[in-house]
Amino acid sequence: MKRSKYVFVGTALGVAGVLSFHTAPASLTFASSPTNGTPTGGGSAPTTTSGSPTGSPTTAPVTPSTTIPSGSRTATGPSVNYNFGVLSVTVKATGKKVTSVTIGTLNDGGNYRSQSIDSMAIPILEREAMAAQSANIQSVSGASYTSAGFAQSLQSALQQLGI
Amino acid sequence: MGTIVTIDLYGDPSVANELDPALQLAVESLHDADDVFSTWKPESPLSQLRRGEIELATAPPEVREVLEACGAARELSRGWFDPWSLAGGVDPTGYVKGWAAQRALHLLLGAPVFGAVVNAAGDIATFGFPAENSSFQVGITNPSDRQELTAIVSLNGCIATSGTYERGPHLFDPHSGEFASRLASASVTGPDLGLADALATALAVAGTDFLTVIEEVTEFEAFAVTDDGERQWTSGFPLLALATVRDQGPRPPTRG
Repeated sequence: MKRSKYVFVGTALGVAGVLSFHTAPASLTFASSPTNGTPTGGGSAPTTTSGSPTGSPTTAPVTPSTTIPSGSRTATGPSVNYNFGVLSVTVKATGKKVTSVTIGTLNDGGNYRSQSIDSMAIPILEREAMAAQSANIQSVSGASYTSAGFAQSLQSALQQLGI
Repeated sequence: MGTIVTIDLYGDPSVANELDPALQLAVESLHDADDVFSTWKPESPLSQLRRGEIELATAPPEVREVLEACGAARELSRGWFDPWSLAGGVDPTGYVKGWAAQRALHLLLGAPVFGAVVNAAGDIATFGFPAENSSFQVGITNPSDRQELTAIVSLNGCIATSGTYERGPHLFDPHSGEFASRLASASVTGPDLGLADALATALAVAGTDFLTVIEEVTEFEAFAVTDDGERQWTSGFPLLALATVRDQGPRPPTRG
């Protein structure tokens, strides 16, 4: 029996209006996710791919075939205020696979606290990437803090990419 | 809540088109939670309650539900988790994120899937399983190197992790009246993410002594990493593997 993992990413943030979620389950797999096609097909044993005999290559399962281009794409969300200045978030994707999330622009007015900016939300996505890259774990638990501004810009960038 | 929530569903690919209704309900419930409990939105019922503009009796029922649960968590944690201890009025944020994720998970029970994971920025609620004959395996971030894990647990239910390594000092010690954290990282597993979240906060503030308190709480277990990198856990913690650390080996588990 073929099994699939559907990953849906959304931001629940304190800014009204940005919160139109995609109702189609978007597949978010990171670039170097396991190549057995169905990330969870083998359970904890990555070599056991017997559950997916169809051998559909790498990407995920759900990809509702809409107008998503297959090539590499980049989108940057709007510049938004965060605790220590102004930032924007850049998302790169290949097809519907998110390959990286970075701070696109950052204007912190020299505030030293901004040095910790990447310790806010990017780690959450890094953790997801970590989980996606490992055949052994499905998720990662950790302390976190995300500024609403980061989430807002990220949400917008994801929307631009149709993810 | 100003945070990022990811939802993972595990099911047969043939049902992919039938997931939308449950997903939509789950997502709406997360936004509802933000609308009601945001301390940043001045118009949220919680903000109004904090300013004394509305009474608890006239607040939305979920506010009463959450505050009652917070009261129970305060008692269970011997006052180490106390949303009433901060100036500025009651702030149940330490409970709400877990509670909201748990509520979203319940709504996913209606989806034709055999497993689901709701990860609210590191606090995780699950049901079911990722594949046949397997359980969810979840990593705990290494507080001194967040690119790495410190442990992997076999999760049946929920796990919440608290610590100051991401956000800086923000945990309030209700007993001393100051911001404090006595652990680098504190994780709590159990059947309910709201309570796990509250107990993880209490553990981070109280320190390893609190592990013996959690030993006594039925179905909840805990894992702590001290500032020195020492790892300790309760006797029933569903530990699957400890990551190797360069400096020192793992310490034996604490016993209640």
